[in-house]
Amino acid sequence: MAISTATKAATDALAVNRAPVSVGAQEVHKWMQSFTWDFDKNRTKYSTKYKMANDTKEQFKLIAKEYARMESVKDERQFGSLQDVLTRVDAANRVHPKWNESMKVISNFLEVGEYNAIAATGMLWDSASAPEQKNGYLGQVMDEIRHTNQCAYINYYFAKQGQDAAGHNDARRTRAIGPLWKGMKRVFADGFISGDAVECSINLQLVGEACFTNPLIVAVTEWASANGDEMTPTVFLSIETDELRHMANGYQTIVSIANDEAASKYLNTDLNNAFWTQQKYFTPVLGMMFEYGSHFKVEPWVKTWNRWVYEDWGGIWIGRLGKYGVESPASLRDAKKDAYWAHHDLFLLAYAMWPTGFFRVSLPTAEEAEWYEANYPGWYEMYGKVYEEWRARGCEDPNSGFLPLQWFAENNHPIYIDRVSQVPFCPSYCKGASTLRVLESNGKKHSFSDPWGERMWLSEPERYECQNIYEQYEGRELSEVVAEGHGVRSDGFTLISQPHTNKDGKLWTLDDIKKIGCVFTDPLKAL
Amino acid sequence: MSTNANSYGAGIMAKTGKAFADEYFAEENQVCKETNDVVLVLKKSDEMNTVVQEILLGDHKDDNPTLVVEDRAGYWWLKATGKIEVDCREVSELLGKHFSVYDFLVDVSSTIGRAYTLDETFTITSELMGLDVKLKDLETV
Repeated sequence: MAISTATKAATDALAVNRAPVSVGAQEVHKWMQSFTWDFDKNRTKYSTKYKMANDTKEQFKLIAKEYARMESVKDERQFGSLQDVLTRVDAANRVHPKWNESMKVISNFLEVGEYNAIAATGMLWDSASAPEQKNGYLGQVMDEIRHTNQCAYINYYFAKQGQDAAGHNDARRTRAIGPLWKGMKRVFADGFISGDAVECSINLQLVGEACFTNPLIVAVTEWASANGDEMTPTVFLSIETDELRHMANGYQTIVSIANDEAASKYLNTDLNNAFWTQQKYFTPVLGMMFEYGSHFKVEPWVKTWNRWVYEDWGGIWIGRLGKYGVESPASLRDAKKDAYWAHHDLFLLAYAMWPTGFFRVSLPTAEEAEWYEANYPGWYEMYGKVYEEWRARGCEDPNSGFLPLQWFAENNHPIYIDRVSQVPFCPSYCKGASTLRVLESNGKKHSFSDPWGERMWLSEPERYECQNIYEQYEGRELSEVVAEGHGVRSDGFTLISQPHTNKDGKLWTLDDIKKIGCVFTDPLKAL
Repeated sequence: MSTNANSYGAGIMAKTGKAFADEYFAEENQVCKETNDVVLVLKKSDEMNTVVQEILLGDHKDDNPTLVVEDRAGYWWLKATGKIEVDCREVSELLGKHFSVYDFLVDVSSTIGRAYTLDETFTITSELMGLDVKLKDLETV
């Protein structure tokens, strides 16, 4: 009787490696490379231009039994802490209100990234042919499912146990109107799951995970603790205990293609595109969340970025691979400029566009303004003065009839949306690496904020067809759009987002917005 | 304050305001520079506190003088030149219970460098495992 391929492989493996007296996890694991199933008919959603070697190893020698045991201990510790001591000490109500708002964004957005990473690593499992490499990717698929649940749970926990649940419990319904959502989908979804499988691995594992999860999931816990939040360290540091295997998976992806001729042709371009794609969103958004979404500051965002992105990822991951032809990303210079200024630029816009969000924002206090100026010389002249003017005009008060968006119109500072990253930018009022570039294709104008994205669009314009808020809502009045996009609380008329975090402050309603008469106008039409 | 070059606040990180900006934007700092350092993030727990305090900063403190350990609220941040190694058999002995390398991985939150396990030892190294150095399987008798 014919035996199955797997049984034959097991029999062959036993012939080479005699059965051990005791079966330790790594004794079992050493047989894995012998399980060379027939992958000739492997099909992936997107193929890769690289050839992945079939002898690539997995660094942690993990088998299912140890994996399951390890992950169950992690969950027991995490949920035990949350449901027992953290609830008992009313931890969710000890969080500073500003940070409570930041976690609406951070955890909801990370959940989307984790969800898409499930599909991304499934695709990589399909693409690889080395059994150990497949094993590493498979573990990651299961990790990402766990992380998706963890991110959802922390929002559930904040909503149930803490303060101002709106935004923790229903963020996703605002995805059509919130200007931060689409950029997030570009890095966390499209970048991970669409295109060449190895390029997706570079986006997800080599850049997203090895580089940006360190500030996003590790450094964030320090900011959380400083602002009274002990739930986030409990959950996020547990998430990150899986990320080290994902970083290793990304590195082994590179190992598996290192000797392929295609790597010498394409790897540096793919790496630069992935680095720019990820940094274009994460750099300003994380900086904004950390600095403007906290009361107690840990350190300037640019220092966090310099440590984790430039020195450690750049030096220890990318720098060490130099002798294999891996080059420093060509876009690094612009990325460094963004790390210093782009989060300040973005917060100015985020505050101005607050009615379209799902989290509350607040203006820097006088004490915070001093901190910004000390750490970012020139901040006050560019941003501080504007916030003072907005405050003086009553931007926090619904009776003022003033939305900061009006300031941009009055001062002829149009706000554009970058076609590739979907990140809003104001080229006439910014200090980051943004410049306006406009291209026309099939009678339609597209705005770009940098040459790196523009180049990516020129090579694959069909990839960036997502409609921006101007294309969706041109000519529509703001309160109508907010109502249609579910930007209101359960009473049906108070906005989820607010321009302050003062518990006793008045909350803006749709009527307050309507009487201002703000209408969406695409600035590209005026060009 | 530690003067070790691997400290959290060493080098440019000790600077503020314009001095920081000048070095950050300096021409020579616009490309990635190769380093032989490694970074390890350990989630604080009963076991990890023992590993840090009793082993890395205790019995093995002299093994690698470049090792720096910093308390960053929820986690321990470690940086060293070359490598950091933890033998979980030693941890077991200290804890008085079985503690495998997979138990250790429960609270390892991040690694920058090439991390791997072999038998009961966890290693993070600046070496390019799989490229310059082969990843070994467990050898059994």
